[in-house]
Amino acid sequence: MVTTASAWLLPALPFLAFLLTATLGRWLPGQGAGIAIVLTGAGAVLWAPLLGALFVEGPQLYQPVWFTVGGDALHVSYIVDPLAALVLGVVLICSTHIQVYALGYMGGEARFGWFFAVVALFTAAMLGLVLSASLLTLYVCWEVVGLCSYLLIGFWFDRPAAVEAAKKAFITTRVGDVGLLIGILLLFRATGTLDIPAIVTAVQQGAIDGGTLTAAAILVLLGAFGKSGQFPLHVWLPDAMEGPTPVSALIHAATMVTAGVYLVARLFPIFEAAPVALAVVAAVGLISAAGASLLALVQTDIKRILAYSTISQLGLMFAALGTGFLPAAIFHLTTHAAFKALLFLAAGSVIHGTTRQKLDELGGLRRSLPVTAFTMLAGAAALAGVPLTSGYFSKDEILLGLLDRSTLLFVATLAVSALTAFYTFRLWVRAFLGPDQMHGHAHESPAVMLGPLVAFTVPSLLLGFLLFIPFGPSANIIAFLAGETGHPPAQYAEIGSYYHAHHEATPNGLVLGTSAAAALAGAGAAWAVYRSGARIRRRLPGAAVLERGFFIDALYRWLTTQVVMRLSAFFAWFDRRWVNDAGVNGAGRLPAVVGGALRTLQTGNLSTYALAIVAGMALIAGIILWSGR
Amino acid sequence: MNIPLLSLMTLTPLVGALVLLVLPRDRHGLIRAVALAAAGISAAAAVAVFLVYDTVRAGFQLAERLPWLPQIGIDYALAVDGSSVVMLLLTGIVIVTGVLISWRVDYRPKDFFALLLLLVAGVYGVFCSTDLFFFFFWYEVAVLPMYLLIAVWGSTNKEYGALKLTLMLVAGSILIWIGLLMLYVASGINSFDLFRLQHITFDPLTQSIAFLLFMIGFGVLAGMWPLHTWSPDGHVAAPTAVSMLHAGVLMKLGAFGILRIAMTLLPEGARIWLPVLLVLATVNVIYGALSAMSQRDLKYVIGYSSVSHMGYVLMGLASLSLIGTTGAVLQMFSHGIMTALFFAMVGVIYDQAHTRDIAAFRGLICTMPAVSVLFILAGLASLGLPGLSGFVAEFLVFSGLAQAQAWLFVVLAVVGVAITATYVLRLIARVFFGPPEAAWRALRDGTPLDVAAGASLAFVLVAVGLYPAPLIGPIVGSVLPIVRRLGGVE
Repeated sequence: MVTTASAWLLPALPFLAFLLTATLGRWLPGQGAGIAIVLTGAGAVLWAPLLGALFVEGPQLYQPVWFTVGGDALHVSYIVDPLAALVLGVVLICSTHIQVYALGYMGGEARFGWFFAVVALFTAAMLGLVLSASLLTLYVCWEVVGLCSYLLIGFWFDRPAAVEAAKKAFITTRVGDVGLLIGILLLFRATGTLDIPAIVTAVQQGAIDGGTLTAAAILVLLGAFGKSGQFPLHVWLPDAMEGPTPVSALIHAATMVTAGVYLVARLFPIFEAAPVALAVVAAVGLISAAGASLLALVQTDIKRILAYSTISQLGLMFAALGTGFLPAAIFHLTTHAAFKALLFLAAGSVIHGTTRQKLDELGGLRRSLPVTAFTMLAGAAALAGVPLTSGYFSKDEILLGLLDRSTLLFVATLAVSALTAFYTFRLWVRAFLGPDQMHGHAHESPAVMLGPLVAFTVPSLLLGFLLFIPFGPSANIIAFLAGETGHPPAQYAEIGSYYHAHHEATPNGLVLGTSAAAALAGAGAAWAVYRSGARIRRRLPGAAVLERGFFIDALYRWLTTQVVMRLSAFFAWFDRRWVNDAGVNGAGRLPAVVGGALRTLQTGNLSTYALAIVAGMALIAGIILWSGR
Repeated sequence: MNIPLLSLMTLTPLVGALVLLVLPRDRHGLIRAVALAAAGISAAAAVAVFLVYDTVRAGFQLAERLPWLPQIGIDYALAVDGSSVVMLLLTGIVIVTGVLISWRVDYRPKDFFALLLLLVAGVYGVFCSTDLFFFFFWYEVAVLPMYLLIAVWGSTNKEYGALKLTLMLVAGSILIWIGLLMLYVASGINSFDLFRLQHITFDPLTQSIAFLLFMIGFGVLAGMWPLHTWSPDGHVAAPTAVSMLHAGVLMKLGAFGILRIAMTLLPEGARIWLPVLLVLATVNVIYGALSAMSQRDLKYVIGYSSVSHMGYVLMGLASLSLIGTTGAVLQMFSHGIMTALFFAMVGVIYDQAHTRDIAAFRGLICTMPAVSVLFILAGLASLGLPGLSGFVAEFLVFSGLAQAQAWLFVVLAVVGVAITATYVLRLIARVFFGPPEAAWRALRDGTPLDVAAGASLAFVLVAVGLYPAPLIGPIVGSVLPIVRRLGGVE
């Protein structure tokens, strides 16, 4: 019998898989990959009854103690509410399918088992992050998923670019985490607890002054923006594409990068009480959505295009949160996980079948890679927001929230939609249409890879209809995420979970129409420009700025090499030249003479040495005896 | 239980050293076996102390006392509180792994192991002495063998490193000794007994002067800025096991002295000087981390990183809060294990490659997978990765500072962690990853002994990181009375 209390099993299963695969992997068939898949899959199977239990029991909180310091107990508390439940499902289903795909994609790799071990650890930590109801455990899982990301980006650690990208990812997100940690400490100081429900209650009772709350919220946001690749901390995400493609799909598209969105959603009552911070969420989200979609226009590497689109789509989720429409953000997170995972896996299939990933070297693959072409088309349609796909409906929910706030933002976001459709179809058209660049040497991927591709096609196309059908006891998915599960609001309030009745979920005609028009216009333009396969020679004004990523990377490089490293060199020099040479050696001239005498004793003769200690002690004791008279 | 566990633990290495002295010098196998046995028995005793110690009752336990010079109030007195227990455990772990790592020392192993055991006897003695005279005696026993160990068995610039280290530490000792005599005289009770001195309220001037003397004297050994410079040079020059004990355990004696003597006996002095210590400790953190980033020698990186991490210990002590002080003691333990692991693995690399130049290496993980993985694990612990012990300790220190509302220091401390991440990951990327250099194809992975030693240390890092409660319980019990007397945040 599955109850919400057994939710801890979900992270425990892949963690067990990690332990088994990491320790015994080399003696197991398939280096333990099978164990990782079976245990993650078992979690996915358990998820459905867990969801059922949530429908019955309503949101629940559990607080086992980790350790205590004086009177303060630190909990490893976990929460099962609609928000957590849905994202748990996303993580489990994506992870299981992507691991199956990796059986094919990673086949023949020397460290095949290691790959699955780290993916299992990642899955465990990500599930732990989603379940966490304590800022401490959340932060722990937050860092562990970051570690897994680091290890997997650098999976091919004999490639300098991969090593560099891994390092960059860790350090960039660590910069954001400085803010997150200080924000957590601020909340801890203000409320005396790290338990999210207690903090939320304190906030709602107005126990924290506005300034502190805003500061804490903005600091927490730094961490969220780093993890979710938002401007200006986004620079690591495109480089992270150096990792194996299944990793890009799982970690850098479907799950880990959404952790920032999830964090803000989990702490949403805090942000609601800090309107300035909420405005920052919206602003950064929209800037990232727009900026990244511009940058995606000039990319030629298929994975980097997708990486920028991830930044852009995550930006839209933040924009939804910033307008106060949490369910829309999480719904988009869900559909995005499906179609972005699909797109990455399809891209992986292209790379697997052609060993190329630059658009200039691809073209006309529709004949040699028919399944990939079709499934990727479904993913591209969903990302572009082509009507009736999942992306169309979830993006419309976000647009609905924006329209409520400001027509200007709504129009700007429509423009982002059009750009998105354009670069997405630029990718698909250039890769699959036009003359065959591979001259028949490309081959379709094996069934173990195509299976997950086809599987992801279904939710990519159909998930949007969750808007129109009941989700358990709730009227639809938006109502479910808003907490309308038939349980009293008090039950939500008690555990600091999000509850917001009467969210308008039905997209209106204006949104549906304009959004469809933007998507079709963008996609049509791309088709018109690129279908012939001819090269576009004319460079657009501003392309140089876009190719250099608004010079943000250059700025950081300057900061690290010219500022941080020089500061470091200065400190190292200062320590030698002044603190040591002048301070210590200078002061040491006199004792050095004594030391010269001491050096003659350097015979290694122990008995002399022991004698000296005893004699010294006797002398000291004598002096005391004498002075004590 | 009538076994005098503490004496057994403290005196076994001493006996081991004496036995080594009478052994013939060419029986290397026997010498190693005796050294390992002595280290093992003392470590087992330390573990037993840890298990026997009653956390609920807290306070000082397992007391042993023999009058030594009753005329002037010196007793051979041993007892442990929660912090001692944790530090003893650390010492036991590090000495056993240190002996294992030193298995291949074949230049005068008899003298080497004898000195190593002498040193560790001193360390045990400091952690469980409750008589200040003996505290000081053991402190010197721990510090002085270092000179010979480095000057005879060391490497790079060893005479300079050994001499500087000894002179600076002895200078610190003189200040400590003056401070102890001050308290002895000022108390007027003719006793070096910690428990009796604890009930004396010294006049404010004495407190202020004595605290400063202790802060500087112990601060030298704890690597407090700007008195830290013996530490990187000393570590670089020292042979592997000595670096392990030195950075792993010896530097903790300094911090432990501040906690056990200065903060316990001189609450007024603490209130005056701890803010200064907080500032210096913060300099330690940032300055050490930034300096580490520019180093070219693996051992210098770890040496400066120790300076930086000891800064967190001192910050925690200076935070005047229960959580922060608890974090400080846990950080002593955690850093001890972590840095011992670092030095052990660097030693394995250096013994084969005969260089520690970071720029010379590339892709070591291909030729030395186990050593590399263990080193990387220590690196992850040092950058405060959750799941490893360093995170819990540093998080407690940060929380303590937050409770004390020292926000500037919170920010700097957390920034320090980010800088640490930067230099650690740069180092790892440079040395262990990348295409393997042809020149290092011939390197072998560590011997089973090396790997066993490293893996045990790594296991402790992970175990404490996942479940720190067994260490935190005793520590809290021991620092609570101190923090309470200081009027700190509970």
